[in-house]
Amino acid sequence: MARQPLSYLWRLAATGLSFLLFGLFGLLLGLIVLPLLRLVPLAPDLRRRRSAQLVGFAFRCFVGFMRAAGCLTYEFQGRERLGRPGQLIIANHPSLIDVVFLIGFTPCAGCVVKTAMWRNPFTRGVASAAGYVRNQPTDAMIEGAAAALREGQSLIMFPEGTRTTPGRPLEFHRGAASVAVRAARILTPVYISVEPLTLTKGQPWYRIPPRRPHFSLTVGDDMDISAFLANNSLPKAGRALNEFLIRRFSAFQTYNS
Amino acid sequence: MTRDDILIQVKRVLAELFEIDSARVTPEASLYADLEIDSIDAVDLIDHIRRIIGKKVSGEDFRSVKTVGDLISVIERLTAQ
Repeated sequence: MARQPLSYLWRLAATGLSFLLFGLFGLLLGLIVLPLLRLVPLAPDLRRRRSAQLVGFAFRCFVGFMRAAGCLTYEFQGRERLGRPGQLIIANHPSLIDVVFLIGFTPCAGCVVKTAMWRNPFTRGVASAAGYVRNQPTDAMIEGAAAALREGQSLIMFPEGTRTTPGRPLEFHRGAASVAVRAARILTPVYISVEPLTLTKGQPWYRIPPRRPHFSLTVGDDMDISAFLANNSLPKAGRALNEFLIRRFSAFQTYNS
Repeated sequence: MTRDDILIQVKRVLAELFEIDSARVTPEASLYADLEIDSIDAVDLIDHIRRIIGKKVSGEDFRSVKTVGDLISVIERLTAQ
């Protein structure tokens, strides 16, 4: 192995430590703190909000730790527009920690996440206490996500369903668009880019890039859903919106590369 | 309602929701393979059927539906109840 500069080794160690802390805090929250919160007599909705706030706080700490330790830098433009009632937040998904940024900086966020999170002991407690919606089966996901939005939650969805495959055209599952036309009061895109790319799909945590990665998150303008619904059945509106979203996010990616 | 009546209704709904040509909607046609109705379309389709029938219909009722003929059978059963 070639000699690596000290800064690289430091970033490697700090990244490892970050992930260790993330796992430990996941367990701590999921096995101790959030179950204790279940003992406090609160209305179910308020308990979900408190749990989601706690998770958001933990995620902000995690991002702050990674930045302080020199693992990454970031800018997050327009984040004060996240967290409005009934807001569906749609983002691309280049890297593993996009979701940590979005949940961390959206007050009381709900999120549609992989069903596998309920099988992972590090994430199960958090996912269930914060009331996240499982992405499978599709009909339950759409109904769960729509119900969360109608209740006034702000909900995060990654329409790619999984992390982006670099170099391939963007593919969006229609689920997010379908949820949007059914139940979103507000639809807001968040465009994410990471330079150099890191923690992509199938890449282990220790494969860190040669330079410190910079995360850039930009909250776009709200999108007008009613234009898609005019004179259209729900499925047609969902399809049209999905095409529109793919064009928007693809344009953003082309612009960035 | 006879099965033929239901087929006519199904043709109309599929045309309205997904712009599927009525000629392609035969009892043997597979919803997924032939008519390209995926799991997300299915949610909208079941919602629509629920509104038309005006009864409590659950997604479970449609789990085993593969073809237009299966769909007709389920609707036949639900409306007969």
